[in-house]
Amino acid sequence: MSLSRRHFLTRSAAGTAVIGLGLSLPTAFAASPDMPDWHRGYTTAPAGGFDPAPMRLVYGKAPAGLEGTLYRNGPAQFLYGQGDYASHWFDGDGMIQKIAIADGKATHSGRFADTVKRRIELEEQRFSAPGFGTAGDPSFPVSSPDDVNAANTSVIVIDGELYALWESGSAIAMDAETLETKGPKAWRSDLAGMPFLAHPKREPDGTVWNLAISGPRAGVYQIAADGALKTFGLLDIGKAAYIHDWAMTDRHLIIMVQPWINESMRPPIVDGFEWRPEDGFKFLIVDKDDFSNRRWAQGPARAFYHTGAACEEADGTIRLDAALYREPVLGVGGGADEIRGVWTGRDESAASNLTQIVIPPSGDARLIETGIDGEFPQVDPRRHGLQRRLTAVVSGHVTSRPGNTALSVHDWSSGRTDSFDFGDSRMVEEFLFVAKPGGVAEEDSWLIGPVLNLKTGTSDLCVFDAGHVSEGPVCIWRGDRAWPLGFHGTWS
Amino acid sequence: MTKKTLIAAALGALIIAPLANAAPLTIEVENIGTEAGTIRLGVFDEAGYKSDEAVNGANITVDAAKVSVTIEGLAPGEYGIKLYHDVDDNGDMNTNPFGMPTEPFAFSNNAKGRFGPASWSEAKFSVTEEGAVQVISLK
Repeated sequence: MSLSRRHFLTRSAAGTAVIGLGLSLPTAFAASPDMPDWHRGYTTAPAGGFDPAPMRLVYGKAPAGLEGTLYRNGPAQFLYGQGDYASHWFDGDGMIQKIAIADGKATHSGRFADTVKRRIELEEQRFSAPGFGTAGDPSFPVSSPDDVNAANTSVIVIDGELYALWESGSAIAMDAETLETKGPKAWRSDLAGMPFLAHPKREPDGTVWNLAISGPRAGVYQIAADGALKTFGLLDIGKAAYIHDWAMTDRHLIIMVQPWINESMRPPIVDGFEWRPEDGFKFLIVDKDDFSNRRWAQGPARAFYHTGAACEEADGTIRLDAALYREPVLGVGGGADEIRGVWTGRDESAASNLTQIVIPPSGDARLIETGIDGEFPQVDPRRHGLQRRLTAVVSGHVTSRPGNTALSVHDWSSGRTDSFDFGDSRMVEEFLFVAKPGGVAEEDSWLIGPVLNLKTGTSDLCVFDAGHVSEGPVCIWRGDRAWPLGFHGTWS
Repeated sequence: MTKKTLIAAALGALIIAPLANAAPLTIEVENIGTEAGTIRLGVFDEAGYKSDEAVNGANITVDAAKVSVTIEGLAPGEYGIKLYHDVDDNGDMNTNPFGMPTEPFAFSNNAKGRFGPASWSEAKFSVTEEGAVQVISLK
């Protein structure tokens, strides 16, 4: 066995060589393993969050008219004490990152969502709540799904209210300015404690649709732009499939029932999944105006987490794009390795394939595969549910660590993909379309997202011109700190 | 013990029950969020706790953030309490469409469940001949 420098440093930190040199190190440092640079993306954030701090414009020129706030959410508590790591990346407590852009200046702040789970675990200084990848301590009280709500997956702003989203519990209301947690949102008193998926869909008029999933049952929320619940309905989706995301046209909801089934839903949830490709991939297409008007379609078995968006043609053909997998993929080492700084190499069979799913008015769905290994698909929000051409994904990878290195925009009409690769030293997160003032075309958008810069040890906010991604960023703002990699964001 | 002696013992218990019935159980419910409706509670022995058949119970009109009731006549022994706050006074524990309670509920000893009601072993408490007091928080 050959010892790498990293092994050596780890052993040194553990005691032997350091003691031999007569040095005395603080306990916390001495017990810390020597982590690779990319582990910065999986390092626990300060418990008190990040106080507002300006980011410097380090490249380009701040685009005129770019004003607003990027909110992002992701797990940010991975470790208590010396070695109590979260069992799964998805079970770390959610932290909202806020990057406000005004007058050409960017300001970053961050706060953990103050959940029941977080309060109990912070007090005990250990992970004890059951979760997606965590069995939990039998003593952890669970009276409601919100007792284990990690509020760590996404965010949405509806009528000025910020919500931190998970998928098995309520949306958690937060102050959009201060990021103070207000508490679980009940869209109607009889819906208290109902799940609210992390992928709500917003129509161009501001109406928000979302799902609540419990086994083979789905609830459907329709929320007006002013935040008032318009309707709530229930659907039978046939199977207890894993439903993280879904799709919507201007007329229909498309609930995508992948053959990844969990009939026990006992923590750790992840252990209860079964991949049943023989069941195929089923799509429940529901009329938004009349839930009784619905039909099923099916296609070849695929697994997925995320869709871009759907649209509908005059004859009723539905086209939707999604990052599909041949079979389920659950993060590095089952979602446990990366938070420990372990990287055992990339499994090429775990590649995604940006795919257009074409569902004809009758008959089976077919897949148009691009071969693009990308994730976190995003579209122009002005066109959500409508005809459009562009889908942005994060793409590119290196063999030496997890994460993505590039941003790609695929044009479905031309088949062309425009990419910018940041190279080995960057970890690229989800990029969002932000409409340029006065513009109407999809290209009249910026793409905005954070990139973890491993050279500088900072999280950089990068802005691209959506029509010219390969030309590189229009501008980059850099703070003096990094924050953990997140999942999803929203622009407000 | 034969079946006959069991029956005899049970009859004996019934005959002497009035003597032991002095055990009052006082239940105080605190941290009530809405001063309206009714606290509906059941007192259970071990068998009834699982099958939801109460040996006694009470309905307490909620007119303050803290209310109480004293139940007389319990035989000394082990009991558990399940209660909920029927905020809208419709006589039922309201649930959301997926069956999760939407009205506050609690158990004796302030025991918490784990994806369900609190277990008997955590909710049980003793009522002696002197009685017992349970302070249950709806927080």
